Amino acid sequence: MQISGTFGPIDIAISGIRAQDENIKLISSNVANAHTTDAGMGQPYRRVEAVFKSDGIGGVELEEAAPDMSDFIRVLKPGHPNADEDGYVEMPNVSLPIEMMNLTMATRAYQANTAVLKRYQRMVESVLELLR
Amino acid sequence: MSKTANIIAFIDAGIKAETLRQKAIASNIANLQTSGYRRFDVEFKELLAKAMDSSGAVDFDDVDAQFYQPKQTPVKSNGNDVNLEVEVGEMVKNSLRHKAFLRLLGKKYKQMELAITIK
Repeated sequence: MQISGTFGPIDIAISGIRAQDENIKLISSNVANAHTTDAGMGQPYRRVEAVFKSDGIGGVELEEAAPDMSDFIRVLKPGHPNADEDGYVEMPNVSLPIEMMNLTMATRAYQANTAVLKRYQRMVESVLELLR
Repeated sequence: MSKTANIIAFIDAGIKAETLRQKAIASNIANLQTSGYRRFDVEFKELLAKAMDSSGAVDFDDVDAQFYQPKQTPVKSNGNDVNLEVEVGEMVKNSLRHKAFLRLLGKKYKQMELAITIK
């Protein structure tokens, strides 16, 4: 994507809003699956992290939803159907406080992009006022 | 005659195009959840550029803005390719352009009024 003409900042702000929207999608997936012990292939849910990319000035986009390769959390739950012979169950490597913190940051970034959009709109409008 | 002699026809074509695009955006947002819906846009800039490149006076019958479906944005699982953020951005750009055209038109009329009132 390249910045084009007068309305470049609008396109860039919109790309930021879209990227943070995707980011919030990933965070909500992590929160929703915080206790999913079976995500296929006998493994619990592995948390995903948003990776953003940009080619210089001209907006941002979500490059990939990278899996977090940190260790799963082992919890003693002998009655659980997914428990091993010692009675331990592997739980997802999701930590709710961290997800809530990421959610706050994503929300603030989203708001920042909408603020840029609004402010730029007001700037162009003030130029148009000169045409009165 | 210069290509830009008929300024009012120019601005008129622009305002018509922005009004039409506003309709397209409204339709896109209304069909945000409609499966199989592809977004609409309005072709105007390209037609105007073509008319400006050709020799002779610009014929505004050729620069008639019309709906088309770009079909370039990625499709979601329900066959819909509308993205709310993109439409909001287009709406902001569209309203700014619309405002610019209206101001220019107002300015032009004021100019004429000034010419008339000179005694």
